[in-house]
Amino acid sequence: MSNDFDPKILAFLCNWCSYAGADLAGVSRMQYPPNIRVIRLMCTGRIDPIFIINALTRGVDGVLIAGCHPGECHYGKGNLYTRRRVLMTKKLLECIGIEPERLHLAWVAASEGPKFAEVVKEFTEETKNLGPNPLATLTREEKGK
Amino acid sequence: MENNFYLAWSPDSKIQEMGSSGGAVTSLLKFALENKMVDAVLAVKKRNNSRFDAVPALITDPDLVHEAAGAMHFAPLNMVKIIKEYLDGAMDMRVAVTCKPCDARAFIELAKRNQVHRENLFLIGLNCSGTFLPTVAEQMIREAYGENPQDLAGEEVDGGKLIITLKDGSTREKDLEELARQGFEMRENCLRCSYKIPRMADIACGKWGNKGNAATFIEICSSKGHEFLEAAVQGGALVMETATDEQIEERKRKETEAVENAQAREKKELDELKGYSSQQRLEYWVGHLNRCIKCFGCRDACPICFCKECYLEPYRGCIPGGETPPDIMFQLIRLSHVADSCVNCGQCQDVCPMEIPLTRLYNFLNREVADIFEYEPGVDINQPPPLTTVTDQELFIDPPDIIYEDASAR
Ligand code: SF4
Ligand code: SF4
Ligand code: SF4
Ligand code: FES
Repeated sequence: MSNDFDPKILAFLCNWCSYAGADLAGVSRMQYPPNIRVIRLMCTGRIDPIFIINALTRGVDGVLIAGCHPGECHYGKGNLYTRRRVLMTKKLLECIGIEPERLHLAWVAASEGPKFAEVVKEFTEETKNLGPNPLATLTREEKGK
Repeated sequence: MENNFYLAWSPDSKIQEMGSSGGAVTSLLKFALENKMVDAVLAVKKRNNSRFDAVPALITDPDLVHEAAGAMHFAPLNMVKIIKEYLDGAMDMRVAVTCKPCDARAFIELAKRNQVHRENLFLIGLNCSGTFLPTVAEQMIREAYGENPQDLAGEEVDGGKLIITLKDGSTREKDLEELARQGFEMRENCLRCSYKIPRMADIACGKWGNKGNAATFIEICSSKGHEFLEAAVQGGALVMETATDEQIEERKRKETEAVENAQAREKKELDELKGYSSQQRLEYWVGHLNRCIKCFGCRDACPICFCKECYLEPYRGCIPGGETPPDIMFQLIRLSHVADSCVNCGQCQDVCPMEIPLTRLYNFLNREVADIFEYEPGVDINQPPPLTTVTDQELFIDPPDIIYEDASAR
């Protein structure tokens, strides 16, 4: 059953690294699953845990965040704050009963086109195996949203 | 090393009678006001002379300090929100506050976030073995003790028993476990709380280790605490003697026992939740949260929720207005906002009209977050909040899922 399931994944990509990495993967014609919808940010440091939780309650099956490697964030430590927030948010998800694996953080530099394709492939596969996000169905279906 | 453990009592026999444990705290507060060491005292006072109804009182007249004397186990208030909300965080007023360990911890968390001015606060910590909700307590006195709640003159928790004193001077005691079996339990956050002695305050006062009821055992926890006590002794407002090793041991023993009980309880509750499958846990919480009537009580009572522009308000665009139950994000936003800082004070759950076990949710996450970041909320004012700090060292750690070099060595 899980093989037919086509997960919806929201990706937050940093403008300076991962977004460029995605671009590179694209122009190099690398294949990766078309399940991601991208939101470009100037830095992963912009991400509020609420963005992640909100996406999950609104029916997204997985959230991918990709930013610059530690030490390479254009604003110094934005990515490091995000790493901490992601650690907390994974616990938050776990504690209310959402698989923490639905949230994934990766570092992808502008030159790492192949890595970007790999990250998306792996995360899509993992989300596929997890199946549809139960939070969305449980909380919204009955309200007809 | 200087000794930090003392027994203290008031030389004034009138105060001795009114206060508990020799009236040391009352005397100290009175002295601090008289000598203008503080501008005001914030303490808890009975309303309509009921032990089930406490109100905060801001006292500036030294002769009225006695009105707040005595411990109240059946009317838990949180003093922190009052300082923050109505006294401008003590920005330009020196206030002495009597506080339970959870109040003291909330003060520390708010001070770190620049919401209260720690320098202007003199925190008089009161050891705490737990509190009951007024409604539960009233019913318990009536049904389990067979007494008229209005006849209650005092209560104390000691050695696993709840001992009540009636107005005629007689006492009755019952086992806490036995009371629990009859459905009369302390607030659940208290059962889990392992901060029995508030060492994050300036002084920590209590009965453990005192000789009978004639004195207060005081542990001095800061130089400010030292300064106030020294002044009071020199001014003749307080009698202090060094605690004996035996008394220190006795106190330690009682503390350890209480802490172990609390930790066992916390573990049991959290293990139960962890034992659920994700699906069960989700159903459990969504089931509870869908009963929410969006009264905003939890947010308004929480000492940690201090934002002027709260995300939960409809104009912020996150939670649509006019819907109950509110969007599930209502509680998840609050959960993410107190994830690192919840001090398990229980105020949110106390006020929730739908009796949603909110502290269990917040505490569960908070325990996990505390583990990851090696962060205990409300303990050390110099330890920065873990979600708004990063260290230089982290610049050199590559994996996206750790922040310490050797995670296993922790
Ligand atoms: S979330 Fe509840 S238990 Fe935690 S600090 Fe706020 S009021 Fe207290
Ligand atoms: S819910 Fe969040 S935004 Fe609202 S007061 Fe609490 S911490 Fe602030
Ligand atoms: S106090 Fe209870 S009912 Fe009120 S908003 Fe909070 S969770 Fe909902
Ligand atoms: S600039 Fe890329 S993560 Fe900060």
